[in-house]
Amino acid sequence: MGWATPVVEASCLPAVLATPFMQRALLGGLLTGGLGGLLGSFAVLRQLSFFSDALGHSALLGITLGILLGIDPTLVLIPFAVVFALLVNQLVQRSQLPTDALLNIIYSSSLAGAVLALSLVDSYQGGIQQLLFGDILGISWADLAVIGSLLLVALTYLLLSLRAQVLLTLHADLAGAAGVRTGWHRLAFIVLLAVVVAVSVKAVGVLLISAFVVIPACAGRLLSRRFPVYLLVSSLLGGACALLGLLASGLTNLPSGPSVVIVQFAGFLLALLFSQARNQLGSAS
Amino acid sequence: MLDSVLRVQALTVERDGRPAVEDVSFSLPAESDTALVGPNGAGKSTLVAALLGLVPRRTGQVELLGHRLGSDGQLPRAVRCQIAYLPQTLALQGRFPLSVAEFVGFGFDPPGPAWPWRGAASRRQAVGLALVRTGCQELGGRLLSELSGGQLKRVLLAFCVVRPRRLLVLDEAQAGLDVQATEQFQQLLLELRRQEGWTVLQVSHDLDMVRRSCDQVLCLNRRLRCSGSPDHALRPERLQELYGPNVVAYHHRHHHHPHGVGDARG
Repeated sequence: MGWATPVVEASCLPAVLATPFMQRALLGGLLTGGLGGLLGSFAVLRQLSFFSDALGHSALLGITLGILLGIDPTLVLIPFAVVFALLVNQLVQRSQLPTDALLNIIYSSSLAGAVLALSLVDSYQGGIQQLLFGDILGISWADLAVIGSLLLVALTYLLLSLRAQVLLTLHADLAGAAGVRTGWHRLAFIVLLAVVVAVSVKAVGVLLISAFVVIPACAGRLLSRRFPVYLLVSSLLGGACALLGLLASGLTNLPSGPSVVIVQFAGFLLALLFSQARNQLGSAS
Repeated sequence: MLDSVLRVQALTVERDGRPAVEDVSFSLPAESDTALVGPNGAGKSTLVAALLGLVPRRTGQVELLGHRLGSDGQLPRAVRCQIAYLPQTLALQGRFPLSVAEFVGFGFDPPGPAWPWRGAASRRQAVGLALVRTGCQELGGRLLSELSGGQLKRVLLAFCVVRPRRLLVLDEAQAGLDVQATEQFQQLLLELRRQEGWTVLQVSHDLDMVRRSCDQVLCLNRRLRCSGSPDHALRPERLQELYGPNVVAYHHRHHHHPHGVGDARG
């Protein structure tokens, strides 16, 4: 078996940028990356990183159920993800088991259920590869409109409820005593995260969606000293890494989703190095 | 002005299907400093949570600043703004990208949806005053997650004093503070009561401090065992009834004033 060598041709960049599907993909990457970074900012502080992973895996089950029932999977996915997120939230709150262990059980079982259900499907025109790793190059203008609207809704809700979100993240009782409707906001955030995962999974894939939520936010957390800056840096890093990853993928013919995640990882490493150097300088002075 | 800032009538709260607080009634006179004492697991923190509407109550009524607490813990926003709660600590895991000044500013903002930049100038001014008042003026630019336990306590107090309030509820707020910080803390509480008419309810295990600073004591061990002035409520026979014989023996051997045993959550 031979190794395929990726070909990088800088002269191809204008040609890559000129193709309509690549233009849609770049815009989709920018919006999805920004959305992931924005929601991830709160998800990582609330230790919901694993929750987004479980949601991603459950999305595969939702898609498969849609195929089996003969319904368009994209129509099934959002209600499925929301119901799944609400059920998991109830389970986590009522169970006396550690959250990470419980979420591990849930996402392994979802994945196993989805693979078993897929084995009952004769053929799926989308292909399992696309489900797992996404197909951002196949993103349509309608998809872009949905993701753009979702970004606007998320941004408006999180900014209007910033005080509630931060206090809830710090200490639920402190937030409750300060007049924050903790139960309502906790649920609203989880539903929003579920919808974002469900909408983004087509472009990013079930295996890589949690990277879009977790990695830019972790990098932003290392770099920021003020909360609005943290939200901005995480969102910008999410969008910028997606753009760079997609361009690299377009120039090298490597898969798009994994290329974006590798760029995110490189961004995270840079943020880590920068924050450590800053800490050393701070302690030296 | 109201005679009682807080009235509690026949309050029962269940935790895990069992009564954690049972048939408790009391009231807090305006501008008083009341201590809630009792052994570990007595239900002190549960009682505080129920008074603030954070956990559901099985039976009973709670009236805060003349407004009845709803069954789901709802209070009018204007009433919420006048109540401050200071928890034992904040569970910050890892780097939290929020500065002290930003955090204290969230104490100034009223509940409800608002754009974060709204009222920025008055918020900034109030935060500056609160930081000076609590001795935290050097900490404004620091991250919340970079603070020591004692510094975090002072910042939490700044969060409470950043706007005028009527009722301050403290859950073991002074645990972990050094002698000087405890003294400053008590001095500020006294100032808030005398100059601005605040009423204070504090869960405490420091019976020396309670005797020195508070003017009413509530002794809780699931039920309200006794209440009254510190001289009355902290008499050895009362403490023996509340904590068991060991505390009184400890008191006789080591102090003229009894000490309770600190815990994480009563």
